[in-house]
Order: sequence, then structure tokens, then C-alpha cells
Amino acid sequence: MSQNKVEPQRRKGAKENAKRFALALRLGAFAVQTALLLACTPSKTDAPKTLPDGSPKFQQYYVHGEELYLRYCSNCHQKNGTGLARLYPPVATSDYVDKNKDAVICLIRNGKSGTLIVNGISFDKVMQPIPALTDIEIAEIATYLYNTWNRHEGIVEVQHVSKVLTSCDTIPQ
Amino acid sequence: MNNRPFSSTWLVAGFALLTGCVLLASCAKKEEPPLPIFGEREVEGKDTIYHTIGDFKFVDQDSATITNDTFKGKIYVADFFFTSCRTICPIMKTQMLRVYDSIQHDPQVKLLSHTIDPKYDTVGLLHDYADRLGVKSDIWHFVTGKQEDIYKIAQTSYFATAMEDKGEVDGFIHSGAFLLIDKERRIRGKYDGTKEDDVNRLMGDIARLEKEYVTK
Repeated sequence: MSQNKVEPQRRKGAKENAKRFALALRLGAFAVQTALLLACTPSKTDAPKTLPDGSPKFQQYYVHGEELYLRYCSNCHQKNGTGLARLYPPVATSDYVDKNKDAVICLIRNGKSGTLIVNGISFDKVMQPIPALTDIEIAEIATYLYNTWNRHEGIVEVQHVSKVLTSCDTIPQ
Repeated sequence: MNNRPFSSTWLVAGFALLTGCVLLASCAKKEEPPLPIFGEREVEGKDTIYHTIGDFKFVDQDSATITNDTFKGKIYVADFFFTSCRTICPIMKTQMLRVYDSIQHDPQVKLLSHTIDPKYDTVGLLHDYADRLGVKSDIWHFVTGKQEDIYKIAQTSYFATAMEDKGEVDGFIHSGAFLLIDKERRIRGKYDGTKEDDVNRLMGDIARLEKEYVTK
């Protein structure tokens, strides 16, 4: 931004060129400093998108959750969560995800097999378990899932996830 | 007799004709060059012998026998994958589905996906996979066969890596390449099937390759 301002000013009159250039430089430096300051201070205004909860903890969960989603989930479920045909179910617009938060937490860790009806469509491919994911990572992925694509359910706490993961056998899938 | 105006008229006309020719020639030159031909080649007398895809015989999702003859007089795109793969295969299939959508009404072009995990990917499983993907089996063949035959054709014919490796996440290492094969069984393009841009290039190259056959 500041660099763009310098350019047109330089092209103006020859006399005051040097003066203006120096001023622009100073202005530019100030802008850069301010930008750096802002970037280093966690605040609501410099968040990449509007998050439903501006707390640093939420943001940490959400941002890391997005990274994990892109690494472990998006190959099949796609970056935009639409899934792929009748092979991989959608997670963005998904009545299953909406209604089964605890079951979703379990299947991220343990995988899933058998028929699964999502939005009235039957899916039947095996989802492999991802045992490497820790409780907090699952909490972060869940936080991402439940606060993206028009969901605003707030943070999914790791304490909750740990509790759910110990009782996956009893949760209706 | 006054010769001068006459000759200058001819001069102008001649110049115009020449310019026209040059323009035409330059326009003709602007046509895209033919796609490269991959692999080693041998020159025997006047003939150049290019690398071609070797003979193969596999079975597709409809239990139909698939050989080189299935693609006789066709252009096809080949790749290697397996249905239980979580890493690059779903991305490759997402991208190949884009290719499918672009060629499904073009009888000149077919798709050939080889499983590199034939023990798990049976005909029935491939059938279910193709069905769930929503694609027609006469356009997109998902084939299985003897594991060693598939690995051999991958390495020696398509220059694509495919092998079992227990150290890998899903037990195999394989390249995410899409290969464009012409009607003479020659490789005319290699693309990264996990990159949208590269797959766009493939779709452009399919059209270019088809033009080569029109002008012949």
C-alpha cells in the first residue's frame, strides 16, 4: 500500500520531487511500522475472516483446525467440504454433521464403515481411522467443522472431546 | 507510349500480393506446434521408431477384457491409483472427473485408471467405485489384473512409479501422473494429476492432439 503511494508522487513536478519523496518515504515507513505492529498484536481486526468468537483460544483452535482439515480431510471431503459424488460424503452442507457432533468426533479418530445416509444419499466407502490425531487436534478439527460453512457453534473444547472419545462405543452413529 | 504508370501499377499490385503471401504464411506459422513425443526413439533409415505403450490385458469394472485394441483409433488418458488410498488418489480422481466431464461426449477420447492394489480392488469394488463416482464404463475404464503386470506396464510403458511399500501411509508409493496417449500408442504428455492447473493443460492438449488427426 505505502509503496503505491510513493510511485505517483515521484512522477509529479520536478522541483519538489526530493521533498515529496522524502515525505513519502517517511509516510511509507510509518505505514509499514504500523502494519507490523498490528500484525504482531492479536486483535479482532486483523483476523483473516470474521470468526464467531474472537478469543485467542478459539482462533488458535480454528486456525490449527483448518490446517489439520486441509492435511487429513480435504483430499476426500474437498477443501470446500462438498465431498465427491457418492464416494465421499459432504461435510459442509451435511445433516449428518449437523446432528451428530459426538459421532463425528469419534469417527475422526476411529474411522467409519458401513452405510451412512447424508442428505438422503447413501454412502458406503470405508473411512480409514486416523489414530495419529491427538484429542486436542480432534477438538481443533471439530472447532473448524462447527464454525465454518454457516455453522457458528463456538469452540469444541478438548475436555469434551476426551470425554466423548472414551465412550465412542455407546454413541449412536 | 507511356510505360511508367503501367509498370508502377504492376509494381504496387505485386507488392500487395507479396505482402499478402507473407501475412498468410505468418498466420499459418502461428498454428500451435504438435505435442512432443515422449520416450527414447530410434532412427532406422528414413523411419523414426518412437516409444510406445506395450501390450496389455486387464479386466475393467464390468468384467470386460481391456487391451490395447480397446483404445484402437482413440486418444486416452492413463493413471495409477487404488480405491482405499487417502493421500493423492482422491485428489487425482477429483481432477480426472473434470477431464471426464470435458470429454464424455467425445467418442475420440477415453480414460484408463489402473489399480495398483489388485488384491483389494476387485472388479466388484471397482464397479462400485465407478458407479459412486457416477461415470460410464465405456468411457472411463477402471482396470485390475496381475499385480506384476500392472507394475511392469506402469514402469516400462508409462514411466509412472507404482510399487508396494509398507513404510508408506497406505502401503504403496505411486506417482500422481496423468499420461496422454495418442492413437499410435505414444505418450504425448505427462501431467500432475493433483494440480488443477496441470490438468487444465491436459484438457487443452487433448484438444490439440485431436486437431493433429483432423489435419492429417
